[in-house]
Amino acid sequence: MTRFLIKRIGLALVTLVLLSLIVFGISTILPGNVGRAVLGPFATQESVDALNEQLGTNRPVVTQYVDWASGLLQGDLGTSLTKQVPTWDLLAPALENSFKLAFVAFLICVPFSILGGIVAGLRYGRFTDKTITITGISLAAMPEFVTGIVLILVFAIWLGWLPVTAQAEEGASALTQLEYLLLPALTLTLVLFGYIARITRAGVIEALESDYTRTAYLKGLPSSVVVRKHVLRNALPPTIAVVAVQVGYLVGGLVAVEVLFNYQGIGLLVYEAARQKDLPLLTAGVLVVGIVYLVFTLVADILYAALNPRIRLGATE
Amino acid sequence: MDRETRRSVEEYRRNEAGPLENQVIDELLGGEVDREDFLRRATMFGLGAGTIGALLRLAGESELAHAAPLEAVQAGGTIRVGIPVFGASLEPYLLNEGGALAFSGIPGEYLTFTTPTGNVAPWLALSWRPNANATVWTFQLRRGVRFHNGREMTSADVVASMRQYVGAKGSNAGLSPFFDASGVSAAGRYTVVFRLKSSIGVFPYLVSQTTYQAIIQPASFAARPGTWVAGGMIGTGPFRLRRYVDKRSAELVRHTAYWGGRPPLAGVRITFFQGSAPLVLALRAGQIDLAMQLSPQEGQPFRNNSRYTYYQLPTAAHRQVCMRTDTGPFRDARVRRALALVINRPQQVQRVMLGAAQVGNDNPFWRGFASTDRSTKQRTQNLTLARALLRAAGAENLRFNLTTWNFLDHTDHAASIQAYARQAGIEMGIEVMDVSKYYDSEPAGADYATTTPWLNRTATLTEYGARGVPNIYLTRCYQSTGDWNASHYKNAEFDRLATTYLAAAELAAQRAATKKMAGILLRDTPVITDYFIRYVTASSSKVKNYVPEGISHIRLAKVGLA
Repeated sequence: MTRFLIKRIGLALVTLVLLSLIVFGISTILPGNVGRAVLGPFATQESVDALNEQLGTNRPVVTQYVDWASGLLQGDLGTSLTKQVPTWDLLAPALENSFKLAFVAFLICVPFSILGGIVAGLRYGRFTDKTITITGISLAAMPEFVTGIVLILVFAIWLGWLPVTAQAEEGASALTQLEYLLLPALTLTLVLFGYIARITRAGVIEALESDYTRTAYLKGLPSSVVVRKHVLRNALPPTIAVVAVQVGYLVGGLVAVEVLFNYQGIGLLVYEAARQKDLPLLTAGVLVVGIVYLVFTLVADILYAALNPRIRLGATE
Repeated sequence: MDRETRRSVEEYRRNEAGPLENQVIDELLGGEVDREDFLRRATMFGLGAGTIGALLRLAGESELAHAAPLEAVQAGGTIRVGIPVFGASLEPYLLNEGGALAFSGIPGEYLTFTTPTGNVAPWLALSWRPNANATVWTFQLRRGVRFHNGREMTSADVVASMRQYVGAKGSNAGLSPFFDASGVSAAGRYTVVFRLKSSIGVFPYLVSQTTYQAIIQPASFAARPGTWVAGGMIGTGPFRLRRYVDKRSAELVRHTAYWGGRPPLAGVRITFFQGSAPLVLALRAGQIDLAMQLSPQEGQPFRNNSRYTYYQLPTAAHRQVCMRTDTGPFRDARVRRALALVINRPQQVQRVMLGAAQVGNDNPFWRGFASTDRSTKQRTQNLTLARALLRAAGAENLRFNLTTWNFLDHTDHAASIQAYARQAGIEMGIEVMDVSKYYDSEPAGADYATTTPWLNRTATLTEYGARGVPNIYLTRCYQSTGDWNASHYKNAEFDRLATTYLAAAELAAQRAATKKMAGILLRDTPVITDYFIRYVTASSSKVKNYVPEGISHIRLAKVGLA
């Protein structure tokens, strides 16, 4: 296990270095320059040049990367070019927001989707299975922006039950924050439901058709025990891996949902940084999302192993 | 008209008025200007309300109307305002985005104010006077104006602010074309003198909110560019900043010592929105009371709906379809005229802007400007003439791309022109870019002026904000030396007329120049200006006494909640 962890952490570090290099590399072909983004389209070129000089964005990208990387080694994630504040000051609240939304979405989405998948798998081929499967596919096929607008129209505008934006006021209670986060979390639940439910359903069907389940039934075990001890135990590990991978998306990839619900998450922050070519902020943001993604993938692997005794981490590698 | 009035006017002309003020009076008494234009001119040259009233009486016009009575509102309450999020800085010398200038314009104020009807009104400056050739302007400041930190505003603050705007590294150059740091000085605690680089007959407009990089800051902040926001955005406005979370929200509270009287509202809560869709939804759901600005399409649900108040304000903001006059298919003026002739402008205003626009005549002279000559014939759709012009120019098979970016009405506007062009056999493609690509050099890092798409593509569609006078459009978009001259238009006669216009203080001279310039632009057609947009927004019906303003400032000093 220790060997496995060391190896995974080493690989994660390499991945993060590559990620930062790719971001800096891609930035050279991205349109836009910081001076122009700050001063706007109608500023004179002299003003833009002066600002770029002041910010150091007219230096070669390699120099900028080396500067940024050496700062990172000393624990400094850099300074945002457009805001002139440490990038962590911008990333920390955005990351906190993203985690809050991801957490609420997970609380609703994961049990709901897994339950849907289990029911569909156990009712394989019947009306319930078809209803869950078709509904899930339809919801997954719908862009999250559309799903979100429909939910807003119904719950915020027609019924007036929930707020239209996701950002509660500063200092709001946990309950109020939850109220504000419900609509975006529901949107994400609807988007992810089909995917997670289908994976669970497939696992359940496979387990139901397996020899060990048949043996369990032949041994005379009650259905509830067979399902709990044999079917679910074997069907859930792939689902957990899929769910863990979704964490990266839920934390860093929700630009459309964050725009629609006016929520300051890290996805939106990174997107804005890319649009304005704010390289330190962009790279730091991508790294933070990358770290979240790697950590949750690692957690998923460990959980996978814990739930499936046939897998021994590091033993066969 | 009584003898007393005549005597007071004569006394004023003899003892107080300079040549420019006397010129304005002559224009009124000679019947050269109507009442509305006289008011614009008189306020611009700093004539007092009493003098203006007496002059109107003398000319047999109705006297100054008092402002519309304000609706009764309860004192207190907090208004919730939705503003689009902005990426750029809030520092006044760097302001360039609608959201940023709307927000900064609540705590911050300007020397003068360009009213929705196009007059320039006293604000932090109470009066002003030019010298005989309008190269030196002397402003008297309003006394007793207090900053949010309790300090009185004096000439030192104005001088320091103005010096920052013309001198700070990276400044947006809103004022630097007109004077430099040594051109502004104090002449007493409440007097500021501007010595301009050249004659400018409309200078008071240029220090109003339409040049948004002109907020008056305390001298201590103004002397150190980039410290205003961190210092709490201290200005003289009716509300002072209490809390600001970048890209998220802001809270302002009543400035109890506001020079314009105690504001009815206790506070303002601003939410910054990512894009207009969530802003519209928030207004519909009752989560905000007032939106900064909406497109005509976004404004539709709020029209004729008793739960909301819908606002529409004619402005000088417009779109420019610029055609390269120096290269490519538009080198021949006949081809440019042909494209301008295919557009059915009244129909397009209805289709693209849902009526929230005024037809343009391919020049920047909005009919609301006093200096605009209104006798120029309006260009109308003429497909037969367009085809004939194309034939004569050997351009029957005209093919080109119109380049623009994904902003408000741009894509609909481009598609509309494309459809009209097809009627005359013109094949027009549409290239829609992201804002950062449209306004950046191409490729990134290359020389900006010679590569950026918006200044170098064959044909471009670009937006221009509202101004109180057309000066900036002329100097930067149409004159040969203009740095926003996307059509690469060069016409010595036009340049000369523009220079004459800029220096002219007499309305007749300004109108004569705009008439000639409009004629030249109809003939040469380097730019198609097919409409001037109306500023559209909406609020909850409980918001009272709100008057929108064409460049997206949000004035809340008199606003209250029912």
